[in-house]
Amino acid sequence: MASVRDRNASAWLLPAGPGTNHGLRDDMRRFDDDDEVDIVIIGCGAGGSTLLQRLARAGWRAVALDAGPFWDPLKDWVSDEAGSHHLYWTEPRVISGADPVPLGSNNSGRGVGGSMVHYAGYTPRFHPSDFHTLSADGVGADWPMEYPDLAPYYEDIEGELPVAGEDWPWGDPHSYPHRPHPVSGNGELFLRGARAAGITAKVGPAAITNGRFGNRPHCIYRGFCLQGCKVNAKASPLITHIPDALNNGAEVRPNSMVTRIGIDENTGKATGVHYSRNGLERFQRARMVAVAGYSIETPRLLLNSVSQRFPDGLCNDFDQVGRYLMVQGAPQTGGRFDSEVRMWKAPPPEVSSEEFYETDPSKPYKRGFSIQTVSPLPITWAEHVTAQGHWGKDLRAYMSDYVHWACLGALCEFLPQAGNRVTLSDEKDRRGMPVAHFSYSQSDNDRQLMKAAQSAMENILRGAGADEVITIQRYAHLVGGARMAADEQHGVVDSDCRSFAVPNLLITDGSVLPTQGSANPALTIMAVTARAADKLIVRTPTGPR
Amino acid sequence: MTALPLEPEAGGGRFPGFVATSQIGHWDDATSAVVMARLGLPPDLRFFSPTEEAAARALFDQLLYQREDPRVPIVNMVDARLAENQTDGWHYDSMATDGEAWRSSLSALDEDAYSRHGVSFAVVPWDDQEALLQDVHDATQWHEFSGAHIWSLWTRYACTAFYSHPAAWDEIGFAGPAFPRGYKNIGVNKREPFEVADARPQQDPLRSPGTSGNGGGK
Ligand SMILES: Cc1cc2nc3c(=O)[nH]c(=O)nc-3n(C[C@H](O)[C@H](O)[C@H](O)COP(=O)(O)OP(=O)(O)OC[C@H]3O[C@@H](n4cnc5c(N)ncnc54)[C@H](O)[C@@H]3O)c2cc1C
Ligand code: SF4
Repeated sequence: MASVRDRNASAWLLPAGPGTNHGLRDDMRRFDDDDEVDIVIIGCGAGGSTLLQRLARAGWRAVALDAGPFWDPLKDWVSDEAGSHHLYWTEPRVISGADPVPLGSNNSGRGVGGSMVHYAGYTPRFHPSDFHTLSADGVGADWPMEYPDLAPYYEDIEGELPVAGEDWPWGDPHSYPHRPHPVSGNGELFLRGARAAGITAKVGPAAITNGRFGNRPHCIYRGFCLQGCKVNAKASPLITHIPDALNNGAEVRPNSMVTRIGIDENTGKATGVHYSRNGLERFQRARMVAVAGYSIETPRLLLNSVSQRFPDGLCNDFDQVGRYLMVQGAPQTGGRFDSEVRMWKAPPPEVSSEEFYETDPSKPYKRGFSIQTVSPLPITWAEHVTAQGHWGKDLRAYMSDYVHWACLGALCEFLPQAGNRVTLSDEKDRRGMPVAHFSYSQSDNDRQLMKAAQSAMENILRGAGADEVITIQRYAHLVGGARMAADEQHGVVDSDCRSFAVPNLLITDGSVLPTQGSANPALTIMAVTARAADKLIVRTPTGPR
Repeated sequence: MTALPLEPEAGGGRFPGFVATSQIGHWDDATSAVVMARLGLPPDLRFFSPTEEAAARALFDQLLYQREDPRVPIVNMVDARLAENQTDGWHYDSMATDGEAWRSSLSALDEDAYSRHGVSFAVVPWDDQEALLQDVHDATQWHEFSGAHIWSLWTRYACTAFYSHPAAWDEIGFAGPAFPRGYKNIGVNKREPFEVADARPQQDPLRSPGTSGNGGGK
């Protein structure tokens, strides 16, 4: 394996300390709408940015459009919870179903860097079992690939982020490039409680630098990871992949919302993208198109891209687009200690356990959950308190006790179901584009996992000495909606992220995941994309043209 | 702003002398600008009609137990968000968009007040207001709303405004912004020199659930 810098020099292209390489942005190559670029990528998040960087390195003329801004972390982000509202995708969306899933602030981001700008920073791998849950357990789906296909890409991306953590005993055991971070009160209590409950817990894996990495500074343990890292310590594509992409001749075009993918009615091939910028309707020509807009916006865009050839939406001949969308059940349990925990003083991603990840034959449910530290800031913590039914005087009293609470979160592997899907609503956004309607209902297995995870977290916190515990039911991490499968009857793309229906259209974001395990998805999204990029480059040995 | 009034039994005065904004010298400019704007003159109302404003004021006073001045100007902060359509980016298909849901729920609150007490919600006595709200909290269906959905809309907007205010941070021992300095002393019972220890660490609201008549449901 080449050294990280030889593969991806992003960390060396940033200025030393916090900040942005403005020269790199000012000197960025700029294509014309009429230039037929080799590829146009929709969305500059986890998937889109990884693809852009890989293809730019291979000499492709590549441009990535993002609906949001090209962030300058020092100017645009604040060390404040309410002041970070602009990081989230807050354009209208409609939710329904038996268990509707709130979106926006708790779910998806916008702008260059995508949702990883405000993700927590946990970067676990999926387990080998995740790739064939249907054959093994009769639930979920089998991927058209197995873990070993992805393993080298996991290792590459872990080096590029880079990831810090202890040697990892679960799934395919592996180690991390950076040493584990010191832990705060919250992590300390998790480790103590896990020991008491006989559960293994480990520090990491967090995509936060711990030591020298190019010009990226060390974490300063300030706890605002979900508000965007002003320090440049926490990895997001804005600092891990975009600088290298620009340095290799890629263009990033911010504030450009793609509304439709162009299709040649004769050949059925994609011709480029219709997008809206500064109020103007524009069209970027391209030989190839990659969609990477997140599990809600990707299906929305495909469904909105109707043509004579695709009257029900692009790639939707078999009614697969938007289906099998998954969230993870993410109950969070707080525990009260007489000691002061001050859980906000450290990055939320500290300690995790994958002890309950796999199917346990002695249990009535299939698959499992993981447990991690989460460290809600005051506004989010107030949600925990109001969820217990407290308001008024009680609410103020509970909140005054904030310093004494530790908080754990679980990620339960909810199963993919065809009826959990995105469709187009009658409601329109300000451009006249129909907004996404997301319907979600849990299965029995899902509900059982939520209960089991809650009692495991209660055990750990009580083991650490908590006298009281409170739990809030939440969801996290949307994936699926344009899943990969063996054929077009069961999914939208193949294992190389090529759409079955349109030969020159890729989908390279979380939408393609057929199952989700109980791992946070960003690392896997990047690894799947890095693999797809490799395959694409290999398939095109003479270069893109 | 001096400390928000809050009696000790409701958690007041647990962090004597702690003032989050005293650390402003250690904050970055972008963050200071955003946080300090909350301490200035609150924005004029643009969204709520006078009738809605009156109901909203009373509702927020109740939800956040603000019975006297100085108060965090919740009604102005929520009004600004609604005027700018700064939503959380979703709404239930069974419920209108946030702005409309605010208007119709405030008018439903007035309706309840008229039918029970013959006056608008804002002028109903404190204890009766509290009882009216507890009924909304406990309802499965309230007017055209799911009880849980409307309660969550109200408390989300109210808490986001209140706990973004430095005066509320003082009350809970939270120092607010932490860039570029960060924290040096992390771990159980560790404090930075500028942090203040809880003066009444045994005041666990869960251990003594009788602190007030509100809520308490599990
Ligand atoms: C609070 C929170 C915490 C999280 N914590 C973790 C964590 O600890 N670990 C983890 O692995 N994951 C975490 N996640 C999830 C993770 O961030 C996402 O799963 C991941 O970033 C998704 O990658 P993506 O490529 O699918 O989409 P994104 O990264 O969201 O990128 C999509 C991009 O596309 C753009 N876009 C969308 N539509 C269009 C359009 N039509 N035209 C142009 N641009 C468009 C958007 O602006 C966005 O920038 C967290 C998420 C949240 C909200
Ligand atoms: S805690 Fe560390 S990684 Fe998180 S935002 Fe602060 S400096 Fe960045």
